Amino acid sequence: MSVTETFGKTVIKVNKNYPALSRGILRAGWEAEDLVFRFHPHKESFPADQYLARLMMDTMLAPLRAPGQSVICSIFTPCELVQEARLHPYNVEAFSSYISASFAESACVQKAEETGISDTLCSYHKTFLGAAENGLMPRPRCIVYTNVTCDANLLTFSRLAHLFDVPDFFVQVPSDPSEDAVAYVRDELLSLKSFLQEVTGRSIDDAALKSRVERSKRTLSSFEAYQSARADRYVPSDLVTPLYSAMTANILLGTQEEETYVNRCLQDLQKAGPKKGKHIYWMHTLPFWSSAVKKYFLFNEDAQIVGDELSQVCSSDFDTDDPYRGMAQRLVYNALNGPADRRIEAGIKHAKQCGADGVIWFNHWGCKHTLGMAQLARAGFEDAGLPTLLLDGDGCDRAHGGEGQTLTRIGAFLENLV
Amino acid sequence: MVHTVHYICKYTPLELFAAMGAECVYANHMPDGFGISESVIGSNICGFGKSLIDLVNAGGVHELILTSCCDTIRSVYDNLQKSGKLNFLFYLDIPHAESGCTKTQLSFQLKQLVRAYSAYSGNCFDRNKFAEAMKLSHVQQIRPNSPYISILGGRAGIELHKEALKEMPLPVHNDTCVAGRSVGESLPDPSLSFDELMDWYAGELLSQLPCMRMIDREGRKRLYNDPNLRGIIYHTIRFCDFYNFEYSEIKSHVDVPVLKIETDYTTGSSGQLLTRLQAFAEEIRSTYADTPQIFKGNRSGGSAMSKQDFTYVAGIDSGSASTDVVILDKDRNYIAGIVLPTGAGAVISAEKALEAALQEAGLSRADIGRVVTTGYGRTSIENSDRSITEITCHARGAHFLDPSVRTVIDIGGQDSKVITLDSTGKVTNFVMNDKCAAGTGRFLDMMARTMEMTLDDMSLRGLAYKEDITISSTCTVFAESEVVSLIAENKDVDDIVHGLDKSVAAKTATLVVRAGGSGPFMMTGGVSKNNGLVKALSEKLGQKLIISDKAQLCGALGAALYALD
Repeated sequence: MSVTETFGKTVIKVNKNYPALSRGILRAGWEAEDLVFRFHPHKESFPADQYLARLMMDTMLAPLRAPGQSVICSIFTPCELVQEARLHPYNVEAFSSYISASFAESACVQKAEETGISDTLCSYHKTFLGAAENGLMPRPRCIVYTNVTCDANLLTFSRLAHLFDVPDFFVQVPSDPSEDAVAYVRDELLSLKSFLQEVTGRSIDDAALKSRVERSKRTLSSFEAYQSARADRYVPSDLVTPLYSAMTANILLGTQEEETYVNRCLQDLQKAGPKKGKHIYWMHTLPFWSSAVKKYFLFNEDAQIVGDELSQVCSSDFDTDDPYRGMAQRLVYNALNGPADRRIEAGIKHAKQCGADGVIWFNHWGCKHTLGMAQLARAGFEDAGLPTLLLDGDGCDRAHGGEGQTLTRIGAFLENLV
Repeated sequence: MVHTVHYICKYTPLELFAAMGAECVYANHMPDGFGISESVIGSNICGFGKSLIDLVNAGGVHELILTSCCDTIRSVYDNLQKSGKLNFLFYLDIPHAESGCTKTQLSFQLKQLVRAYSAYSGNCFDRNKFAEAMKLSHVQQIRPNSPYISILGGRAGIELHKEALKEMPLPVHNDTCVAGRSVGESLPDPSLSFDELMDWYAGELLSQLPCMRMIDREGRKRLYNDPNLRGIIYHTIRFCDFYNFEYSEIKSHVDVPVLKIETDYTTGSSGQLLTRLQAFAEEIRSTYADTPQIFKGNRSGGSAMSKQDFTYVAGIDSGSASTDVVILDKDRNYIAGIVLPTGAGAVISAEKALEAALQEAGLSRADIGRVVTTGYGRTSIENSDRSITEITCHARGAHFLDPSVRTVIDIGGQDSKVITLDSTGKVTNFVMNDKCAAGTGRFLDMMARTMEMTLDDMSLRGLAYKEDITISSTCTVFAESEVVSLIAENKDVDDIVHGLDKSVAAKTATLVVRAGGSGPFMMTGGVSKNNGLVKALSEKLGQKLIISDKAQLCGALGAALYALD
């Protein structure tokens, strides 16, 4: 049994009788990992990716260090307003992944299922709910969420608001990508400003917000340039970097740290050698814990994951003169909002941008949107000349793994990529 | 030309279609199974979505309006649009909240719908037809003011509603997400312009009793706080997550009996469904036994049969794995008990088991005054005086064996049950595993075969483990492949068996929590002989389990006790 597994077992064992203590142990473990990232980073990774690992760890530690200054956000919530209110956003997918990486997800999943929640609910949401129920996750200051882009958002966040007895704010995003919808969402974001001001007692300066949204635009634009430029380069890649990037590109968009990360990526690329092996573009989240996936993609010169769709859900082409309108545009025109074609087209564009030789569409357990459109996606990608593997699995809960099958499927897919 | 539009949800603007000369048909039939849909949309998705795709593929639907109920319907729309099989398909994005802005948003879409359907059908919006349709909807709101049972939760097909109507001792109302349409509670001002009318109509649609996809669900409380409500059949569809949330919130806050059932939106598991409905009907009768006048035909909660003076009675538990028989005398003394494997047919196995029990007791069939059957095969066995569900019989048997027992855990061949009792032995709650073999006797059977050992061997091997292995897969098929991998890694068989025991124990413990079970716990059924599992489950529950020497006969014993009533 590894040190991390022992750590996870200890957290779970202590949690049964002493939830606050277990949270303290969890934090201590994550603080230790933070130190490891700081002083002994993964040498194979480029400096930008080492920086990203620390950034992500700090983002997950924030709610444990200062819960009263933290906000639970759904992944696609535009967080510039939250950041301007000097609050730390954290999201379901990232926090649950860290719980899973700590080998504590099974107890959280079980706790959620014991309360009567369906075993078919997305396991990121189930882990998150279970962590809240069993006291591993502290009470946040408030909750901000949108319906983009899954049913689970509508259920998880209102339940947590009730459980923690904290105020929540819901941003309704129409499914029709249109300027009428943008105008509607813009008004909602103005109301979100009032909500955050009321919750924190701090005023949000529109000029500062504008400057922050301009930074978001620069960051996205630089990331697009990075993805294009890496098409013919070799960037050593692990399983967590694309996942970290998918998280920070959303909840930290607008921060100096996220812009620094992307700029460092561009710098690293100048030292990168020519392309080696196959480039794979990944759709949905990554099962970072899977030994089968690690076998093929963990610092492997034969194949690398060069992009994750969740890092590129919105274009840098949005309004910054009116920051509220700009943020509304990002939400309404999010690649995952509206008909399936929009998501597939964005995936094709971004896969080609980074020189992908193939695409893996990850059918994450419980994500009905992803599962339901999988066949359409395969047809769409393959029509565009991108061989596509539909891979069933779970990004968070090891109980839904089928490692033998995963190994065979990915192996056969890579063998047959020309 | 007569136009027929199929629809799926109460937020559908039915009156608007009526105003354009279309007849609306509710697509709400549960199929026997799924066809092409699983290759189109996948298997791990809500069965209602699959049934819609199959319905369209069968050619019975030409015009369809979908509402943004959930991600499954979103995918159904994407796939059907791509297929090009429908003459008319429209996706109405119902906002998640009711406000001035969302009404405007919906009103805008309603006008788009009028334009689209007019262009398609050639029919214009007729204001008078709209007013007539609104009046008709208004009349349909009237609801009888008398005791009833409500089906709540996710959509229940007509077939499920009919089955519940047949089994329940009270009228059953379908109050699931798609039912309870309340448009028409007020009527529009005739002087409104078309735009104003659509604004008003959008408000009417949005102000209905909310479904779980709405952000403000406060109004749903009136569904379970109605003074006439006597019981709730809470239905969820596998892979639809919305209503499990509500169930988890209300299950311990309502004062009436609640039955939770999950289906895959097919009629395929009707055997298990019937057991649950019948057990629930027994619970309802028992709960309201002091007011028998409320029941259909004034049936009381007890047995309809007259009491006679019997010398001997028999209880037969016809399960999927074994058929058990218990013979008692009139003073409740245990005379004989037999456990035989269930062969090809429940009837033949029951006859053989009864014959063997009679032989053991030294009696003949003529000595048996009454026979009560239970278990899955209970209704197939002729010549019995009464059939009662295994839920009620296990509870009765367990209470007889040890009156201190408050929770019965029965891991059977095809399902697992947790039954909670009060101090008098009355069933207070029960839960069963859903359509999945994980955590059942069948799961252990399959794993024993994979490891080429008998169940008896398996029951002992798990005790002598050295390494604490965790079988993480909850799916039986994946767990089997995980076991094969562990064997390939040369892991010790004892350690693997212990991992399996822990896996079943965890699944069972979750059921215990869901049922609100508390000690003392009694384990019944054949799996109670599995020492490794009993130990793992005791550890998980933090209490020793009571295992009677008649554990395997508990259901049949309960049935025999009922025969004496």
